Amino acid sequence: MNGRWEVSPRYPGAIATLGEVWQYRRLLGFIGDRALRKMYRRTVLGWLWLFINPLFPIALRAIIFGALLGVGSNGLPYFLFLLAGTVVWDTFANSLMWGTRSLEMNRDLTDQIYHPRALLPFGNMTPALLNMALKVGVFVLALIYYTARDGRMYLRTDLELLWAVAALAVALLLALAVSFFTAIWGETARDIRFGLGQLLSVWYLLTPVLYPLSQVPAEQRGWMLFNPLAIIVETFKWGLFGVGDFYRDQFLATTATVLALICVGLTYFARAEARTIAER
Amino acid sequence: MWTIEADADQGFGPRTREVWRYRRILWFFSLKSLQTLYSKTVLGPAWILIRTLVPLGVGSFVFGSIMQVPSGGVPYFVFFLAGQVPWNCFDGPLIRGSRGIEMNRQLLTKLYVPRIILPLASMTAGVAEPIIIALVLLGSLVYYRVNDGVWYVQPEPRMLAAVASVVVVLALAFSLTLWTSVWQARARDARFVLRYVVGFWLFLTPVIYPLSAVPADIRWLAQLNPLTPPIETFKWALLPGMQQSWPWFLYSVGVTVAAFLGGAWYFTRSESLTMDKL
Repeated sequence: MNGRWEVSPRYPGAIATLGEVWQYRRLLGFIGDRALRKMYRRTVLGWLWLFINPLFPIALRAIIFGALLGVGSNGLPYFLFLLAGTVVWDTFANSLMWGTRSLEMNRDLTDQIYHPRALLPFGNMTPALLNMALKVGVFVLALIYYTARDGRMYLRTDLELLWAVAALAVALLLALAVSFFTAIWGETARDIRFGLGQLLSVWYLLTPVLYPLSQVPAEQRGWMLFNPLAIIVETFKWGLFGVGDFYRDQFLATTATVLALICVGLTYFARAEARTIAER
Repeated sequence: MWTIEADADQGFGPRTREVWRYRRILWFFSLKSLQTLYSKTVLGPAWILIRTLVPLGVGSFVFGSIMQVPSGGVPYFVFFLAGQVPWNCFDGPLIRGSRGIEMNRQLLTKLYVPRIILPLASMTAGVAEPIIIALVLLGSLVYYRVNDGVWYVQPEPRMLAAVASVVVVLALAFSLTLWTSVWQARARDARFVLRYVVGFWLFLTPVIYPLSAVPADIRWLAQLNPLTPPIETFKWALLPGMQQSWPWFLYSVGVTVAAFLGGAWYFTRSESLTMDKL
């Protein structure tokens, strides 16, 4: 060794990182609270946005695409169909947005006190979860309304309903897994934040939210199944209503990929964390 | 006893002449707003191409082949582009122009420029996208000429109406910017509200669908939207088989003039107040 020392960061693995997140779990509520406060700060309407936000866009899209352009909906009322797809899509998109911005938004906190940085993507997703809860509430109300109006049970009542729950969970986990990468990249390159909004708006169109997958021309349908969100959204709607096709194998494969991606993402995140702290 | 007349140069004429005197600054700020748009990004100006071209392809696939939106006899891609050109003349300039004052706040506290120059200069950056889309439209016309043997756009005198439509749309965007840039300098979150509103506005305007898809009895409601007549006129001017109405077009011109006069008044009235708050 000739009396020379090398100080190098020790890279924790995925499990160790998760363990540390668990150890610091009490901070999660605090980070979530910060994120919620930031969401509608300095807006005139304030918290009202929380209610305007889920309702207004869905109503407008239902009118334009359902009533005006007559897009198909697998025999369901278009509003209900759109609402179900939107619950999954928005959960994914909002979580990804908040997760990606987690490091950058909480930089002041990171500079002041020590906390596992992996805590931030988890905690920062709180607004997205709250938004999801609100939309699920709207969905339940709409379901009751349409069931009463048509005298027909739209929701399926068997155990297959669990597939819908699983699909929603996979959407959330996928957003988390991708956030582990994009949060790190977004700290240095402005492109990520910039491009993510663009990417999500294009991705939204390519995911069967506004239209059912069965309406896609057959030659393009196979190609659209490469989009994991398409499978997740279709599984969700199949699990809820029993309409559309159920791509069981593809869904299971997506789930496995997402779980693997979380492990890789956590490892990557932990390594990048050690590296950036060493550079500071 | 001294009286200092601070507002000697007020009034529409002097203010316009002032902008003309400062035209070099206007040019400088326009260039600057184009440069800062993609600074600190890895891909740089390539973003302009990506963010313009990718949504075009995906949008026309989803609306045209999946949703089967009617397009009045022309290929949906051509129809879609013909709607996107005037829409992007509105959307980009409005959103960029609204940030004009806010983005240059450091400069503003140091030197004097006529405030109106800032939203005007920032708007310029938004013109890049409609130009790119117009070029794509031109390319697609050549493609369909080769493939289908049809020119979907015939050179006719009514094409001049397309120019008039673009002028109206740009003027409307500028008039609204006079309001929104002031709001945005005061509350930064006005930006999110604006994006939200513009996002709705796109769906309420016949850009991705023709006005004829709206049921006839509520069509007047769609035409109350001042963007509908110029965008319909733009499509009518270029494509065969479209309709438009000049009275409604004049209505849009009227709304634009009113928005401009109101905006000019509001902008001048609030500018000293706004600057104090920066």
